[in-house]
Amino acid sequence: MNVRTPGIVFAALMCAALLGLGAAAAATVSRATVSYETPAVMLVREDGKRVSLPHELDDGRPVLLNFIFTTCSSICPLTSRTLEEFQHKLGSEAARVHLMSISIDPEQDTPARLSEYARKFHAGPEWQYYTGTVAASLAAQRAFDVYRGEKMSHTPVTLLRAAPGEPWLRIEGFVTPDELVDDYRNLLASLGSPARAGR
Amino acid sequence: MPNEPRGAARAAALALPLLMWACALSAAPPNPAAGETLYRRGLLPSGEPVQATREAGATLRGADAACVNCHRRSGLGSTEGRITIPPIAGPYLFIPRGKSLEQQGVPFVDTERVNHEAYTDESLARAIREGSGANGRPLNYLMPRYQLDDAIMAELIDYLKGIQVKPAPGVTSKELHFATIITPDADPAKRRGMLDVMNQYFVDKNNAVARTKAPTLYSSHAMMFRVERRWQLHVWELTGQPATWEAQLRKYLASQPVFAVISGLGGSNWGPVHRFCEAQALPCLFPNVEAPVGHDSDFYSVYFSRGVLLEAQLIARELAEAREPIRRLVQVFRAGDVGEQAARTLQAARTGSAQQIVNRVLKAHGASRDLDAALRELGPTDALVLWLRPQDLKALATVPVTTSRVWISGEMGGLEQAPLPASWRAAARMAYPVDLPGRRVVRVDYALSWFRIRKIPVVAQQVQADTYLACGLVSETLNHMVDAFVREYLVERLEMALDHRALTGYYPRLTLAPGQRFASKGGYIVRFSEPEGPRVAALSDWITP
Repeated sequence: MNVRTPGIVFAALMCAALLGLGAAAAATVSRATVSYETPAVMLVREDGKRVSLPHELDDGRPVLLNFIFTTCSSICPLTSRTLEEFQHKLGSEAARVHLMSISIDPEQDTPARLSEYARKFHAGPEWQYYTGTVAASLAAQRAFDVYRGEKMSHTPVTLLRAAPGEPWLRIEGFVTPDELVDDYRNLLASLGSPARAGR
Repeated sequence: MPNEPRGAARAAALALPLLMWACALSAAPPNPAAGETLYRRGLLPSGEPVQATREAGATLRGADAACVNCHRRSGLGSTEGRITIPPIAGPYLFIPRGKSLEQQGVPFVDTERVNHEAYTDESLARAIREGSGANGRPLNYLMPRYQLDDAIMAELIDYLKGIQVKPAPGVTSKELHFATIITPDADPAKRRGMLDVMNQYFVDKNNAVARTKAPTLYSSHAMMFRVERRWQLHVWELTGQPATWEAQLRKYLASQPVFAVISGLGGSNWGPVHRFCEAQALPCLFPNVEAPVGHDSDFYSVYFSRGVLLEAQLIARELAEAREPIRRLVQVFRAGDVGEQAARTLQAARTGSAQQIVNRVLKAHGASRDLDAALRELGPTDALVLWLRPQDLKALATVPVTTSRVWISGEMGGLEQAPLPASWRAAARMAYPVDLPGRRVVRVDYALSWFRIRKIPVVAQQVQADTYLACGLVSETLNHMVDAFVREYLVERLEMALDHRALTGYYPRLTLAPGQRFASKGGYIVRFSEPEGPRVAALSDWITP
């Protein structure tokens, strides 16, 4: 990439300008119900244990899943703070929901760094962080359609599932803690009996 | 940052409103350091963390709320996913609507939206406190609403106005000046190899610049031309004691300002160079250093890998996972070589383990027969770590192997070319902080072909390939920067560009981010497959300790 033609630069500038113009809109949140096939990959939890992703997801509890990296300075602190607030707002009910955050920068995010990050967001025992090989993280990102090419291209996505075998509620955008609590309650209610989803 | 003035009239036009604004605040003269502290660290002049909230009521404080997290140190913004975080360096905030960046003499950055009203101090304060933009519309959900009193608000606005976006020193209308730094203890063969690559790279780069003729179609876009500057290399050779290096470097920089330092070559001590780059706010990009100093929290120095310090972490992990008990850990290194720093790192990583740690230090330039004494009285329950260079490894031929748990440094020993005698090959494992030969061959061949075509002798393959990679990464990053020659922006764009890079030379992946200053994070543990020759086999997956 030593030689550059003005044409390429011009095209790049035009694209960048258009993107810049388009990005002014305020954050909007969209929701969709989607089914995903969980890949059978092994991850490493922040406590250093090697665990299977399907096993972690399918322990019977409702699951909230998102993807983060610890050196992300803008989006992730906000989404992590939202999860912290979500746990706080649920109060004693929080213990019934399994929160899972998978790193999209697994080489940097060692279990020790993830533990430190978890402490920063006052993660309760039911909120766990996962790293692993680059291939395992990529497989998880692809399976849940959050892979966007590289870590700086990631978008805020929160996934909620009432129980194993149920479809996922995919929430794109900056959902607020209150909205997330509503989404969670509605999801459980839609199952008919909240006890069915709980442990 | 010193810059050529663009004309007295323009300077006066700029100075007058600033002067009036400064006078308005004369009761409490603004303290630029206070604005900077708030911007970078989220701290108020009282030392208290700043408080902020978001639309939905979520609160933020201190470093989590610092402007730098999103708008970056350069103040030129960033892009994350579909979110564009705009530049908030003064010139971008105060551009009158309808004027282009070019008309304002402000460099193009792809995060700028030129469709907003110019801010005033009042509307800017409202944006920061209430989250409404110059046109009254709400800002992005990401933007917190800050609780700031009038005095600190004035200091913050003053800081934003002072952020420089004009070309940094070392950038002229025709040339981009770069330096490379060589310490006196650097290996002479590597020095020659590195400079051959850099000199040729600059020649090629400038030939390409000379060939580029901007078509008439773009003639109104003056900035299209501005990016095609000639690259000029300055070699800063240090002499004497390390204590004098920082002063020498300051002198070099004063006599010839440079935009950034590319590559470079160190021996056992890179500390003074690292400190100089941080203190002078000068990007020092990917020097060839076996034991880098500094932390992920530093900003201006970035390295390909932690080198021997990473190797120490790889070996520490092996030792921690050893199935059979290890009574003693014996480390052997030469005084003053990088092995000393590696040994210290390994010792720190094993503190608290039941193993006794013994360091056997060989004389700085002593004879290889010193090894005999250092390796005496070792038994099968001892682990031996050799932080040694090729000539010492070669001399092991006369030393009996008394333990099967031996680790050697790939970085110091020469990777798969390490002249380890056949008798040691079964026992020794090697810390290998790069990709395996078979996996990197295509990526490295790209550099080797470039050397071959240009008749550059390959005398230190990894140093030369890394140097070529460093030049390529800077060139690619500059392409993204158009004409925004701000040093902090160079580092920030490099962080972003690196993830996209397919040709990563010796390394399987390179990634950086704010708070990440070592681009390749892991390594292998390998063993020689045969009594002779360079074939190695991985005993582990890629480990990121």
